[in-house]
Amino acid sequence: MTIFDRRNETMRPDLVEQVQLERLQALLARLRRNVRRYADIVGDTQIDSLSDVSRLPFTTPDDLVSAFPYGMFALPLREVIRLHSNVGPGGKQLVCGYTNNDLIQWGRLTARQLVAAGVTSNDVLQIGFGDGFLAHSLGFMLGAELIEASVIPEDTSHIEYQLQVLGSYRTTVLITTPTNAAELVDLLHATKTDAQSLHLRSVILTRPVPAGLREDLETGLFARVQCCFGIPEITNPGFCVECEHGRFHVNEDQFLVEIHEGELVVTTLSREAMPLLRYRTQVACSLQRGKCSCGRTGAMVTPGDRLDGQLRVREMPLYEGQVADVLDKTEAAGQPFSLEISDKEVAISIEMSQRLFGDQMRLLADLREQIRSEFRTRLGIPAVVRYVAPMSSVEERDLPGQPASEG
Amino acid sequence: MLRIRNLRCGYGGLEVVKGVSLHVARGEIVTLIGANGAGKTSLLQAIVGLLPPWQGSVTLDGRDSTGTPVWRGISHGVVLVPEGRQIFADMTVWDNLLIGGYRNPDRAVAIEEVLEHFPRLRDRERQVAGTLSGGEQQMLAIARALVARPRLLLLDEPSMGLAPLIVQAVFEIVESLREQGVTVFLVEQNAVAALGIADRGYVLDTGEITLEGDCADLSRNPEVKRAYLGKGYKEVWE
Repeated sequence: MTIFDRRNETMRPDLVEQVQLERLQALLARLRRNVRRYADIVGDTQIDSLSDVSRLPFTTPDDLVSAFPYGMFALPLREVIRLHSNVGPGGKQLVCGYTNNDLIQWGRLTARQLVAAGVTSNDVLQIGFGDGFLAHSLGFMLGAELIEASVIPEDTSHIEYQLQVLGSYRTTVLITTPTNAAELVDLLHATKTDAQSLHLRSVILTRPVPAGLREDLETGLFARVQCCFGIPEITNPGFCVECEHGRFHVNEDQFLVEIHEGELVVTTLSREAMPLLRYRTQVACSLQRGKCSCGRTGAMVTPGDRLDGQLRVREMPLYEGQVADVLDKTEAAGQPFSLEISDKEVAISIEMSQRLFGDQMRLLADLREQIRSEFRTRLGIPAVVRYVAPMSSVEERDLPGQPASEG
Repeated sequence: MLRIRNLRCGYGGLEVVKGVSLHVARGEIVTLIGANGAGKTSLLQAIVGLLPPWQGSVTLDGRDSTGTPVWRGISHGVVLVPEGRQIFADMTVWDNLLIGGYRNPDRAVAIEEVLEHFPRLRDRERQVAGTLSGGEQQMLAIARALVARPRLLLLDEPSMGLAPLIVQAVFEIVESLREQGVTVFLVEQNAVAALGIADRGYVLDTGEITLEGDCADLSRNPEVKRAYLGKGYKEVWE
């Protein structure tokens, strides 16, 4: 496999250290001058070596929430040309800003991943993630356009149409979510379509998947599968490059990574609009250094689970607290409920009460529809609603709870 | 080739360079831009040993050269073209070049080679240097440094006091040094000209590096545009 940016991706470790120190010192100087929040907490701390970074304060997702919308920006808003929203702790909104240079750099970093996956200017790329992934797909667009591949940005809401595009446009590289890729495999089976009849060479997934699922997708789509790993507040895609040996090499010319009590902590070294110092990513991670036969010298990370209780339903991030917030917008506000959250849907069991109970079944059906609609529009995820007997009455009778109605 | 880490220096109790780290790789042209009084010249003087560093290290090809005297630095291949040319005004062009090659036993050959790239100086080799134009004097200062066959050439504001067209001519010469295998560290106030020819750049502001990167990226950076490229804004509404 080829390497897009040989100078930076294969930089000698001693030079990486020099470049990181230079960029960290320059970053601190900018933060002191341009971001009041950092100026107060960084003070006069001097960094003489990378090990001194431990003397600097952390930045947490809560800091970004409290600085909403522009409190973390290091440049005036007129110099920020793009604003992306992300889901922060408890589902609260975060804003990430980008300058022209930030977007160009994002494209370059994404191009590193695409080239590592074998993408060239001869490829036809189909990018389709579905609702809520616009920022993600824009990153891939920037990288793909830099490589001068032919890009088809597609909406994944119609999986059959997506398959049709795969066939008729002779797509060679598909960039999508694991959920969508699995659905495509199912559709190929259902329609008895031979995956080899497609022209797919490579599938790039938006997040790491277990080895078993990767093999299933490779077999099902008859294409090589490669994964991305990134943090939306840092850069996603573009934080690291998965090489042909399945190792995630951090782009260390741009990001300084540490592991603090098992958590990945990242400092953005060159970002202009919204640099982040020692950002606690809330992702469990391990870090290895050493040689990789792919030639890249960047530290290798192995991402693990989220540490902040963030769940994923149909690829959309979800915090349990968001469920109560959405229910509060419906007639079921204040009703006791329990949850079962899977990769595919949120199953909500709402306890019945005198207030909800009436002589018309239609009212409960309308409420169920209202809740489904609110989940779809506010969180972008499907919800299944069940009505169950109140737990207090169940306990009194010492009987297991039985659903009153299946959703 | 050149690596500087956490360099601090100053005058008396006044710290002028406040913990600067930078590097220049072999064959690169790297520029350091900054306003008047940012500490650019002091940093250069600390690199060549004219100003004793308070802290930090200067490494040349992996060898620690922190605080090395100037004369030893020259024999290691580091030559400074100082601010304001500093040619010997009463001597001829040829004699200035001879002094540049003082430590080079092959100076006659070196002078001939250098003059190949400076035809205007060849035409004036017997002329007294003080009678040259500002641009020609700057070319002479660069040529004099090249006679020492430097591996690393440090240029301190070569555009100072020159008309824009002459600046362009001088910078074309600097750019051509890349092809001759000379590594260049160019300290400049003229950001447009410097970013136009260099590979990478650093921005020095009141003794600290605040930005670094490829020159194309730096030219697009909003802070550089605002401070150095004359792209100000009339309205501020934030």
